[in-house]
Amino acid sequence: MTAPAAERTLTLNEIGPAKRGSRPDEVVVAVSPAFADPFTKTIVDVPHAEVIRQILAGIEEQGVTARMVKVWDTADLAAVAHIGARLSGSGISIGLLSRGTTMIHQRDLARLSNLELFPQSPLLDAEVFRRIGSNAAQYAKGESPAPVPTRNDQMARPRWQAKAALLHLKEFECIVAGRKPVEVEPVISRR
Amino acid sequence: MTATQPRSSRRTEILESRPVNLDGFVEEWPEKGLVAMESDFDPAPGVRVEDGRIVELDGRARADFDFMDTYIADHAIDAEAAEAANAVPSVEIARMLVDPRAGRDEVVAIGRALTPAKILDVVKLMNVVEIMMAMQKMRARRTPANQAHSTSAKDNPIQVAADAAEGALRGFAELETTLGVVRYAPLLAIALQVGGQAGRGGVLTQCALEEATELELGMRGITAYAETISVYGTESVFVDGDDTPWSKAFLASAYASRGIKMRFTSGTGSEVQMGNAEGRSMLYLEIRCILMARGAGVQGLQNGSISCIGVPGAVPGGIRAVAAENLIASWMDLECASGNDQSFSHSPMRRTSRLLPQLLPGTDFVCSGYSAVPNPDNMFAGSNLDVEDYDDWNTMQRDLQVDGGLRHVRDSEILQVREKAARALQAVFAELDLTPISDQEVEAAVYAHGSEDYPDRDVLEDIKAAQSVMDRGITGLDLVKALERGGFHDVAENLLNVLRQRVSGDLLQTSAILTGDFVPLSAINDANDYGGPGSGYRLEGERWEQLKKLRHVTSAENPETEVS
Amino acid sequence: MSATAPHSAPDSGPDLGPDDYPLSVNRQDLLRTPTGKPLSALTMEAVVAGEITPEDLRIAPETLLLQATLAESVQRRQLADNFRRAAELTAVPDAEVLAMYNALRPRASSREALIAIAENLEGKYHATVCGALVREAAEVYERRNLLASEEES
Repeated sequence: MTAPAAERTLTLNEIGPAKRGSRPDEVVVAVSPAFADPFTKTIVDVPHAEVIRQILAGIEEQGVTARMVKVWDTADLAAVAHIGARLSGSGISIGLLSRGTTMIHQRDLARLSNLELFPQSPLLDAEVFRRIGSNAAQYAKGESPAPVPTRNDQMARPRWQAKAALLHLKEFECIVAGRKPVEVEPVISRR
Repeated sequence: MTATQPRSSRRTEILESRPVNLDGFVEEWPEKGLVAMESDFDPAPGVRVEDGRIVELDGRARADFDFMDTYIADHAIDAEAAEAANAVPSVEIARMLVDPRAGRDEVVAIGRALTPAKILDVVKLMNVVEIMMAMQKMRARRTPANQAHSTSAKDNPIQVAADAAEGALRGFAELETTLGVVRYAPLLAIALQVGGQAGRGGVLTQCALEEATELELGMRGITAYAETISVYGTESVFVDGDDTPWSKAFLASAYASRGIKMRFTSGTGSEVQMGNAEGRSMLYLEIRCILMARGAGVQGLQNGSISCIGVPGAVPGGIRAVAAENLIASWMDLECASGNDQSFSHSPMRRTSRLLPQLLPGTDFVCSGYSAVPNPDNMFAGSNLDVEDYDDWNTMQRDLQVDGGLRHVRDSEILQVREKAARALQAVFAELDLTPISDQEVEAAVYAHGSEDYPDRDVLEDIKAAQSVMDRGITGLDLVKALERGGFHDVAENLLNVLRQRVSGDLLQTSAILTGDFVPLSAINDANDYGGPGSGYRLEGERWEQLKKLRHVTSAENPETEVS
Repeated sequence: MSATAPHSAPDSGPDLGPDDYPLSVNRQDLLRTPTGKPLSALTMEAVVAGEITPEDLRIAPETLLLQATLAESVQRRQLADNFRRAAELTAVPDAEVLAMYNALRPRASSREALIAIAENLEGKYHATVCGALVREAAEVYERRNLLASEEES
């Protein structure tokens, strides 16, 4: 596959150990170990740069700030999202796996519960990521947004599940056991 | 396409366009556990017992046990018999499984003392027909049954109720719902219960949720049983699921302490899907799950890969492994709700071939979720079978003379129970001061196929109503009262009868379901007594007459007409 | 119908065998709600009259022990053990059961917290089998590094 001329790439520059935020109007975007490096796109080839660009735009259009965290010691979505939520000043987070699976989480919920879950990574496109950002920001403001409509394609499983498992195995190899979450600055550049 | 690409034949183009080529297939990667059941990386069988305690299991010493080894060694395996049982050659045990002259009890007894690797060693000797032969004998309940999903892409409670009623009438013994938006749960759990009891008294319902919430709905008597109690074959994945064998065993007792039927869920592929199979084959890890479930004393297990079916489905021999895991659950004397509950293939032919190893021998629940709604409305992400397959299913039952738990029902009867379910739910919502259901919505429910055929609901108001169900502490008893006050006396009686079952605890026994007369049918009073040709469950008599009926059958008496 | 299977359970109580199942059909005489009512009292009339509470629709510990005896009579040892633990848990309020379950999740509790739960089960609720399960969990969690780490507790 040839890349479009203006394809964006994402770099996550490490700032330092992730700390609990104090701003009540922030959303933490927590990503899994292989996000942006070595993986660069979701299971259906949405570039990670585009995923982050849309999520951040969705958060900012609600007047809420975003902070990004990379989680190193797990590739479990609920865990990634819950770690993000516990670091978030508002208690709201968006958790993301490299293949695109996404969850909006809240600090006070049980880890395996969630505000919104988008389990079918092959169905998540740029527009959905923007709406996820927007909804998370609205939760952070204490609002009750209508959930992002859940897409449901019953044939995604036979088409994509085994590939997803392969991607996850590769992501698992990027886990650094015991390494604490790191605050990162997203830099999106055109190649 | 570029000019340099080699030319394909027209036949290749036709084959390329066949649905099966939309399915995903991957190579095996045994080092990472991406392999069905034949892996050089699985341990060799072995057991050593000292002072009545297992000190070595499948080549691992007690000091090195992970928590699954510990739990299995201390709770699942009959230690006193272990060394002798494991010394029996695997081929002899495999032959006992297949040979009708070896009784079920005898085969169960030896199974109680085997280690996970030994069990794997036995089933690896069996081909898929032998696995089916064994399943026919080892299924715990004599009479096979089936389970349905009733969900809605819009989380529309009226749809869930109407499709639950139709499903119950068609023969499902259990109905299950889940949500797109989790906060809707209480409303859909109510809709499923009311709709189910309007369709056929005694159908059992559940709402798949996070463990603690699922238990709470069960304790309140809004649901009748629980199933989404997931267990995993490696310690790290178990912990990722936020549980341990001890928390799950405690949960099993918690359900039983409230008189609520419960089974665990597991399946091949979940560990590799979650990224940590520790280099073991899918079936080896699933056997650990099955043994953990037995050790916890839970009566049954939903397995057959379940939500991970795309993983074993993508590797060589994967569907044979799935048939084997159902067999092992039954062999370990557990109720088995045997999968066939997730979208599996684009190919109708492949969907059917995946189903036969459970449909032909019969299992406790052939599907642990046949979609009683159109697949696009199935919030378990689609099932292997859906409402559009009803007539095919009924025809397969009639062709092969096998009982898959369903039957053909005349349209007039279906419309009647759909309306009754929607009206009953309308009354309950009104009595409990929940979001109103309009007559227009009821009418839509009678004739609808999928969620697009219903007027849209006010989602935010519904979610508020759902929260109020939790805040106000509404229970199953409140539903009974609301139905009675609303003029649905028979539905109220049905639900009260289901709630009364808790007091007796009869539904806690292995493989229990309720007949239309509210008689519990389990592996005690309906124990599988298969002993070869002419024995065990046979599709005959009144039930066979029911299954001879299809939508279009030409009358023998008057060939110018049809009977149905 | 009479029980024909040999008595196999160490628990006290009637000599039950497979022929007694289902108890709701064959042995209603043995069944009582935790509030002491017979099954036949759970009628729609009583519900409408407000005489039935959710407490009446629960299972009594004695009934769970009967089901344990039945399970044992068909060689389901672990199922019977589960019913015995369940019999103990009938005394524990819903919210506390949920809290105990959550405390048993991995890395949710310190060793001391788990031992305190076990002591509470054994002392307040006479739930010795459940208490032993929690103690066993504490021991395994410690060995497998699944107790709450300090910053998380």
